[in-house]
Amino acid sequence: MNELAIDVQAVHKSFRSTQVLRGVTLQVSRGKTFAFLGRNAAGKTTLIRSLLGLLTRDDGAIRVLGIDPQREPLELRRRIGYLAEDQTMYGWMRVEEIVCFVAPFYPTWDHALAAKYLSDFELPLRTRVKHLSKGQNVRLGLVLALSHRPELVILDDPALGLDPIMRKQFNRDLINHLQGEGRTVFYSSHLLYEVEPVADEIAILDQGRILRQADTESLRRDVKQIVLSRAALNRAHNQLKILDERIDGDHAAVTIENFERAQSVLGREGIEHRVVDLNLDEIFEAYVAGSRRKSPDAVAQPELQPLI
Amino acid sequence: MFLRIEKGSSVAISRQIADQIATLCASGTMKPGEQLPSVRELARDLAVNQNTILRVYERLCGEGLLEMRHGQGTFATGRVSKTRTAAHRARLVDELRQIARQATGLGLTTDELHELLTEAVDSIPTAEALPAGRGQTS
Repeated sequence: MNELAIDVQAVHKSFRSTQVLRGVTLQVSRGKTFAFLGRNAAGKTTLIRSLLGLLTRDDGAIRVLGIDPQREPLELRRRIGYLAEDQTMYGWMRVEEIVCFVAPFYPTWDHALAAKYLSDFELPLRTRVKHLSKGQNVRLGLVLALSHRPELVILDDPALGLDPIMRKQFNRDLINHLQGEGRTVFYSSHLLYEVEPVADEIAILDQGRILRQADTESLRRDVKQIVLSRAALNRAHNQLKILDERIDGDHAAVTIENFERAQSVLGREGIEHRVVDLNLDEIFEAYVAGSRRKSPDAVAQPELQPLI
Repeated sequence: MFLRIEKGSSVAISRQIADQIATLCASGTMKPGEQLPSVRELARDLAVNQNTILRVYERLCGEGLLEMRHGQGTFATGRVSKTRTAAHRARLVDELRQIARQATGLGLTTDELHELLTEAVDSIPTAEALPAGRGQTS
């Protein structure tokens, strides 16, 4: 059996003249919870839709559960659970009706599990879908995405529209029902502090490129801020992998990758410095800022939704 | 066992959990031989990835604070970790330096700061006055 649940190699995708994915490469092992983070319009939804075979890529290769989504989209979708960012469901159906409507599409649908989710999520069975709140809508989408016990669950920004208590509950459900049963979860988010407790691994996507893929603990160990004098920075500049730098008078604060190496460089040069631990938001910010400095021409372009 | 996770902190979640359990052991709140929640239970309780909890338990076992008994669960040993105590001490010294800097910034003299520190020490209830492990746990 293939050890990778998702294998993406150098995928490109443009909408007319707008390049949305510029050579995305990432791997997700089976059984892992993988969060990928990006600002709005970073290309998150485009990548997810390509994984599902809802979009055709321009270049590169994708395998999801060993299947090319472009060639066998239906077989693939039977085996994965998917929640879209803007999940649209028939508004005139009642909650219980839509569950009964969706169930027959999946041979592995588990009615008892669906009923359990409906009650855990406190969803009103008799209410029409169009009358649900935003949070209830997301929860209903989750019921529909999870009740056939898929091997792989792909969620497009599921925490969006959930209040803090629901987000925690959602994390708990991920841990109990999906991680606990060894399923693979691939989800996008822009809330780093929400994914940190849950994700085994994260990837940072910006302007259609993966800037970094790592488990959160290695990422924290590897990316630090160093405060030192400006003169010292000039001396060590070429030997540091700098993501972002700020200068204030004689002082400089640089956010660097490969901390272990940086420390030995600074030690060897006898440079006095202070190390600051960063939270994930700061690390994310440094990567995004760093990538923009390297390619100032590639300013964020709006992500165009295809008209389908 | 009450643990608190601070989201968005610059301290990794695994370290937050490890530090808090170590503090509970050191202060006696977690008694020698006492059983910890299972990996699964604690993961659910804190809404934290099971692998993270497992790694924390393994690390603390490596340090000798906890032991995993096959098929029974994870227990506090009552031993103290030397590396952890040293690290804790280093952190404390660092915090004291920051406090000293703040005090200087506020215009306190060295004597005034000494006096405040003595008062703070005096205000800690003695071991007899308080059941073991309550109070100064963090």
